[in-house]
Amino acid sequence: MLRAVYKWVDERLDVTPIWRDVADHEVPEHVNPAHHFSAFIYCFGGLTFFVVMIQILSGMFLAMYYVPDIINAHASVKYLQTEVAMGTIVRGMHHWGASVAIVMLFLHTLRVFFTGSYKNPREFNWIVGVLIFFMMLGLGFTGYLLPWDNKAYFATKVGIQIAESVPFIGSYLATFLQGGDMVGATTIPRFYALHVFFLPAGLLGLLATHFILIRRQGISGPL
Amino acid sequence: MSKKVSRRQFLTYTLGGTAGFLGMGMLFPMIRFAADPMLKKGGKGAFVNTNLTEGQINETPQAVDFRVAVKDGWYVPEGGEPRTAWVMKSEGKILALSPVCKHLGCTVGWDSNPQFKGEFFCPCHFGRYFKNGTNVPGTPPTKPLDQYETKIEAGHLWIGPIKKA
Amino acid sequence: MAHNQDGNQKQVHYVGDSRVRVNSKEMLPPDYSQFPGKTEQFFPDFLLKEWMVAAVFLVGFMTLVMAESPPLGDIADPTNTGFLPVPDWYFLFLYQLLKYKWAAGPFISIGIIVVPGLLFGGLMLAPFLDTSKERRPLKRPATTWIAILSLLGVIGLTWAAEAEHVIQVSSSSGTPAKDKKIVAEQDKGYELYKKNACIKCHGDKLQGVQGPPLLGVGDRTKGEDEKLTRKDIEHIIDNGRGAMPAGMFQGSEADKQVLLNWLMQQKQK
Repeated sequence: MLRAVYKWVDERLDVTPIWRDVADHEVPEHVNPAHHFSAFIYCFGGLTFFVVMIQILSGMFLAMYYVPDIINAHASVKYLQTEVAMGTIVRGMHHWGASVAIVMLFLHTLRVFFTGSYKNPREFNWIVGVLIFFMMLGLGFTGYLLPWDNKAYFATKVGIQIAESVPFIGSYLATFLQGGDMVGATTIPRFYALHVFFLPAGLLGLLATHFILIRRQGISGPL
Repeated sequence: MSKKVSRRQFLTYTLGGTAGFLGMGMLFPMIRFAADPMLKKGGKGAFVNTNLTEGQINETPQAVDFRVAVKDGWYVPEGGEPRTAWVMKSEGKILALSPVCKHLGCTVGWDSNPQFKGEFFCPCHFGRYFKNGTNVPGTPPTKPLDQYETKIEAGHLWIGPIKKA
Repeated sequence: MAHNQDGNQKQVHYVGDSRVRVNSKEMLPPDYSQFPGKTEQFFPDFLLKEWMVAAVFLVGFMTLVMAESPPLGDIADPTNTGFLPVPDWYFLFLYQLLKYKWAAGPFISIGIIVVPGLLFGGLMLAPFLDTSKERRPLKRPATTWIAILSLLGVIGLTWAAEAEHVIQVSSSSGTPAKDKKIVAEQDKGYELYKKNACIKCHGDKLQGVQGPPLLGVGDRTKGEDEKLTRKDIEHIIDNGRGAMPAGMFQGSEADKQVLLNWLMQQKQK
């Protein structure tokens, strides 16, 4: 039955080459942990992607309860964590996932660096990877403010002061991030917008580029 | 090289120009929208009564909470936004210091570190200020603490906006 | 059809009037035995192994999530002069860097532009700085050493920031939250609190004078989320902490328990 449905669709749309293009590419022995246990270092990239998926999913679900406004932000986080079923788990996944994503990304960067995989001809993909790293740090910084507790508030204030001490453009940068003269009512929705729309859009674009380039160039050879 | 623009070039330029127009037409209002806070001028603060009588102010700095009417975007907190000042008498004059560290904006405490008695201390990067708010040389801050304008009216202390240097 | 005007080339068939080609032959996966070693197909062979790793990872991750609930502090209070700010751990190195004299004050641009610029700029431009063909880390010692030293620098700064923050937390006085009140002022514990020197530093309403406030000490947390226990408080009473000397409580053991009972009652709704 399923086969017949697939055949019917494939006859009209010729979908086989699309997925076969993703499925049919060779994975060399030296990155396969089933053959060499030490090849687990090649898994960090994939695991980073996995955590990013967890982050996107849990974030989408958190947005069902979270209210990005100065009066309700803290109360809504408190509510979703303490009164909604599995709230602690879902927020926990997002909270700890952020740290785990940074750790995995860091390990992946170290692997690529110390195996020299960034070298010719893969320079461009390395730069894309570093940009992904920056995006993730940006996501971490903007997400940290959203629960609007003391830790969030003061850490963000310090972060914005750091931005402000950049010569020449500092004060503009700080006002832009704050959305006003202080960390407050206009900062939360601004960080929220960055955290859920702008930065993830950038991140997904960079990730797509990263993966397309890997497919184009193949995995770097064994050392 | 002929100076004449070929049909293909003409089309490419037109396409590029149209793309620029479409892009800017969409993005200009959005960018102006997002950058608005940077281009707005802040309002001037008024004096507020702290309900602290003149006699209560002594040589030791004390944290005084007061509320200033602020408009933070759409948000106008009921009763104003809480602020704190370190208030003391210094050489006969009343001094109200902003507790915001001039280094990276943490909050300074008076006498809060047992190692540095009689100084304002910032826990973030160990910035220190003498009692009159002057930064201790060699610590991270490069400027003294901001001072609020003050006045005494009907025996009560009123605190105004931060003094311009 | 316009696509096949020549006629002498191979005839291409389309599905109806669409642009989709009629595909007569089955698509077979390529022969991976041509590749060196035990090269595998990505799907499904290798992906299964990758998902096995992901499954193990997920179990570990969910264990962490269930063991540690995410911290949520009190609602942000901009007037709280006693709160010790600390950024998330992956920004600690930058935060710590700005504590040093050569990276702060008049040299702030070193701390904020030069050092991070070198670090991240170097990272970004690594492929253009290290252009040799050699990939093995031991065969390109300069690159490897620079990387290891920067790595140690970042780890060292992070560690120093964390260590200093822990010390700061334990000796900070802090200001009381305005909504907290003293509980059970008629209790015998309060008498003991008054009789001993406690009241001089911690205040008649537990608001804190020279020492930290004790309001709500009964349901306080230490560090991230761990509860401050009765035992912890007893330890502080016996041994002091920060500016507080040891042996401040002069009464009997039974009295101390009464005092502890009373302190543990200091809970806010």
